[in-house]
Amino acid sequence: MNRDRSGLTGTPKKGIYYGWYVIAALFFASFLAIGSRQGFGVFVKTWEEEWGVSTAAISVAAATGWLMNGFSQPLVGFLTDKYGGRPVLLISLTVMAVATIGVAAISNVFGLIVLYGFVISFASGGISPATTGVVVARWFDRKRGTAMSILIAGGSAGGLIIVPFLSYVLIEYGWRTAWVIIGALALGLGIPLLLLVVRSKPSDIGLYIDGEEPQVTEDGEIEVSVRPVGPDFVDRWKDALSSKLIWQLSFAYFVCGITTASISVHFVRWAISEDISTGTAALAFGLLSAINAAGVLVVGTLSDRWQRKNLLGAVYLIRGLAFISLIVVPGSQAIWAFAIIGGMSWLATVPLTASLTADVYGVRNLGTLFGLANMSHQLGGAGAVLLFGWAFTRLGSYDIPFAVGAATLVVAGIVSFSIGEKKHSVRYVQIPVGGAVDSDLTAGDQGGR
Amino acid sequence: MPRYPEILAHHSEPIDPALWEWLRVKIDHVLGLSPGVLMILLGTVIVLFPVIVMALLWRKRRNG
Repeated sequence: MNRDRSGLTGTPKKGIYYGWYVIAALFFASFLAIGSRQGFGVFVKTWEEEWGVSTAAISVAAATGWLMNGFSQPLVGFLTDKYGGRPVLLISLTVMAVATIGVAAISNVFGLIVLYGFVISFASGGISPATTGVVVARWFDRKRGTAMSILIAGGSAGGLIIVPFLSYVLIEYGWRTAWVIIGALALGLGIPLLLLVVRSKPSDIGLYIDGEEPQVTEDGEIEVSVRPVGPDFVDRWKDALSSKLIWQLSFAYFVCGITTASISVHFVRWAISEDISTGTAALAFGLLSAINAAGVLVVGTLSDRWQRKNLLGAVYLIRGLAFISLIVVPGSQAIWAFAIIGGMSWLATVPLTASLTADVYGVRNLGTLFGLANMSHQLGGAGAVLLFGWAFTRLGSYDIPFAVGAATLVVAGIVSFSIGEKKHSVRYVQIPVGGAVDSDLTAGDQGGR
Repeated sequence: MPRYPEILAHHSEPIDPALWEWLRVKIDHVLGLSPGVLMILLGTVIVLFPVIVMALLWRKRRNG
């Protein structure tokens, strides 16, 4: 029998655990959903020319989509907590796929705002970590950080592969065909893969978390492993709001939104203002993309061994260092420094925040709680984009906005380090069986969802 | 003010059109392949992944 930091009893089953197939299917769903949303940018110039509209008009669709995606996450997270991840994922991907094909039929910006800004962006919230993270947390405990990081890397891979794919389809066959193809891929491959593979939790197909085998006692009775809970486990998501830790995590994630969105939106303008060549900027971006995929996998794996809050704090401080490099490192060297230092931290906050939330409050309400954190991330990002733009217009330089970004990251790092993980996480403090039990993780649970 | 939520992709935000144009020129320069060939290569990667996962799962189920 095995008992480790997770508090689980039982022996892992031999062979490839079914949960890894679930990860593969979720990886592909995230790959499609995130890749196609990132691909929106590829079509902007084409729409401007074809519809005779300004970039600002198309911006309305993108900005609406950004906010809708943020607002959708607590709702889809709540639905995931209530009905399980499988139905939410299937419905979300179906709606997203049909609406994506529908984009091919529109002929003006208004249609784009409705279909992309509202429908696609809202539905894609159902394929975000607020949903997929819950499924992962129900399938994995010991390797939760690793599993989450692989899933997040799926979104990164989507950007790397689907964005150029859509671009080349655009060149060869036009934008309408590109949208039909990506929608058809989701309907023809994404939906069948989810249907075939993904179950909301292991007990839906008679399995146990982490692929454990039940133990048979000398009396011939089956001893199932029971997942204890931590001292802050909550039955209702609202109860978590009265504890300090959810606010610490949400604040740090808010800063994550501020710093990633602001850099994202202002990256090109900053590069131009620094007289950095387009070739250098493009190569630096490619380097950053490669490093962030590797960085999230390394951090996720380490988080299963070390305290997650320390890694989270380190990630924010590293990103702060990247911001400082944009101010103090001269010219084009700054962009390389940012790509290397910032790339390591770019995506790593996601699996750490999701895993910590699950460790502390249990997975029963993880969708809602992480959805709220995601919403704070998006709102922070939206606000920062506007403020950075305003500051650049007034000051003619990004130095002060970047300094403010660095300062917020230092605060987020300190707040993350101050999280009392050893007092609150189920990895370190477990309430004995017989007390509260996180039924979603109780091996052999035959309940709903 | 920003003209467009152009993104250095963090989560699922659209990529910056200017940034993508820079990248595409670089990719075309480095690889030297036509858009049609690149489209087929990338499309093959996209299609192969779920097919391989389904095939592995089918084999797992067949072997019990």
